[in-house]
Amino acid sequence: MANKKNLNFKQKYGFSMPKSYLFRAKKGLNKQIVESISKMKNEPSWMLDFRLKSLEIFYKKTMPTWGADLSKINFDDIYYYIKPVESQAKSWADLPSEIKDTYDRLGIPKAEKDYLSGVNAQYDSEVVYESVNKHLEKLGVIFCDMDTALKKYSKIVKEYFGTLIPAHDNKFAALNSAVWSGGSFVYVPKGIKVKMPLQAYFRINSDKFGQFERTLIIAEEGSDVHYVEGCTAPVYSSSSLHAAVVEIFVKKKAKVRYTTVQNWSSNVYNLVTKRAKAEEDAVMEWVDCNIGSCVTMKYPSIYLNGKRARGEVLSMAYAAKGQHQDAGAKIFHFAQDTTSRIISKSISRDGGRTSYRGLVQVRPGAKKSTVFVSCDALILDEKSRSDTYPTMLVKESDTHIQHEATVEKLGEDKLFYMMSRGLSRYESESMLVNGFIEPITKEIPLEYSVEMNRLIRLEMTGSVG
Amino acid sequence: MDKFNQKMSFIYLNKNKKTKYIFNSPGKYTVFFNNISGDYKFIINSKDVDLDIFGIIIGKNENIFKINTDQIHDAPKSNSNLLIKGVLYDRSKFLFKGLIKIEKSGQKTRAYQKNQNLMMSDQAFVDTKPYLEILADDVFCTHGSTTGKIDKDSIYYLNSRSIDNKKAENLIVSGFVNEILEILKQRTSKQEYLSIKNEIEISL
Repeated sequence: MANKKNLNFKQKYGFSMPKSYLFRAKKGLNKQIVESISKMKNEPSWMLDFRLKSLEIFYKKTMPTWGADLSKINFDDIYYYIKPVESQAKSWADLPSEIKDTYDRLGIPKAEKDYLSGVNAQYDSEVVYESVNKHLEKLGVIFCDMDTALKKYSKIVKEYFGTLIPAHDNKFAALNSAVWSGGSFVYVPKGIKVKMPLQAYFRINSDKFGQFERTLIIAEEGSDVHYVEGCTAPVYSSSSLHAAVVEIFVKKKAKVRYTTVQNWSSNVYNLVTKRAKAEEDAVMEWVDCNIGSCVTMKYPSIYLNGKRARGEVLSMAYAAKGQHQDAGAKIFHFAQDTTSRIISKSISRDGGRTSYRGLVQVRPGAKKSTVFVSCDALILDEKSRSDTYPTMLVKESDTHIQHEATVEKLGEDKLFYMMSRGLSRYESESMLVNGFIEPITKEIPLEYSVEMNRLIRLEMTGSVG
Repeated sequence: MDKFNQKMSFIYLNKNKKTKYIFNSPGKYTVFFNNISGDYKFIINSKDVDLDIFGIIIGKNENIFKINTDQIHDAPKSNSNLLIKGVLYDRSKFLFKGLIKIEKSGQKTRAYQKNQNLMMSDQAFVDTKPYLEILADDVFCTHGSTTGKIDKDSIYYLNSRSIDNKKAENLIVSGFVNEILEILKQRTSKQEYLSIKNEIEISL
């Protein structure tokens, strides 16, 4: 590139704004902390019971013995609850200027204001800015943060909360269940198709602060919704923990797509439990892009419970220096004529490590089910590493299962060809990498897709020009 | 060593009871096993090793086969290629875990791993875990696995040629395993080939 601008990634995105809190719980985790979180939020007693039970389970559960290295997480060195400045601002103008500033730097507000329907921006652990479009209200769609949902729609919340991912599912789900705050709640009534994607921006902006959002999406019969979460977090010196739980109920003939563009700072442990249940003729799609964080362990899962249900996971991971992206998918076929497709693309560079870890189970009776799994990995230099750990458990003969994986480096021939056309090596490399992940990026909304291509370019060359 | 003058070796795992094989010199090696369980390590410590690993598993009744294979590439410019075919009748179970591991020193490796299974009964069970761990960058590795039952159209076609269901099924299964037997024919002595072929025909 002729005029190389030195827009170092860390200089550009690696900032943190001064912090002001209304309340910050003490570091560490104990019964009092959990009780005080619940009290601060004025929660009903069943939620407090749920939290306390989950805390017990958290203590009993052991850390996962497989996957990425989690030994550096110190549960006593984390703030479990921070309440940011004044609650819920009604419009963009009401937000404190430093919060607006942070968003401005990321170039978000313009995009948000101009193009997006529902804005639900999360600053620290609580949603401070939320503008539910009138259009959504008219349709009867509920889109709000989880804390509000618990107050206003507690009947619906109680019916579904923690039923798909119970606290004893794993240690981090138990932790989230005990100390959760923030997250989104989406309820789409029968037959309603939401045309615009619902978006929530998440940011962690406080040192040593774990963010534990809890998201619940319920799509009633025949409805259609696309939920998008994007994350851009500033860089910090000490470890942060992000352990979210996402539960999605896709009823008969409904369709839900959940898109994540995740770019945590390079010291965040991102340990997320995501699960969806698809009933008859339902369609569930996870689109999952993991770029940042130091360790990501995330395996969006789908239970195909109803006949002809379809599940799809599109996963992309990028690991650079000091990063381990352990991502994948889990799909369970319980019913006849169910289909699933997993496409994973991973790139490792500069000592990064990407792992695909997947599980597909075909239970007895899931006749005529079809499974297709494809994982492609690119390794860009000799310091990097790529692993593939797919598992397939088949207990039904009348199925069709396919799995394939490839690992390779960028083709020298292709690079040579592009360079002979006058492109620099960097340009050729980033163009090839962007082409490699294109099947995924074309599935995400345009703004994210542009952001993603820029991020990859930035990470690849250290410059955007 | 030129290609036509390469050392050829054939290792029949069922007879050769070792579980760890180290390939220290260039050459073409063929490993074969049928209907066994065990943990097998294939370590490639030399360049220009061309290793083929073939396996045939035929499960009947309550048979359980559990196979772990490791293809470890510790030297550059070698190839390894694994193909395991499983045919599972009755309540048989087949658990396969295969690992291709390319160490940092294994640049310019080409490694393949493939597991294909035919499910002949509703009660059969397959668990397949084809893993890859790649620490070098200039490599090409693929793995694939397929599991399914016999295509109804194929049976129908054979029926239309006045071949009954039982016979049609047998034809398709023998075609499925013959892909491996045909290769073995060129890799081992006639005597050994015939005895392997005979053994497989009996187990079918």
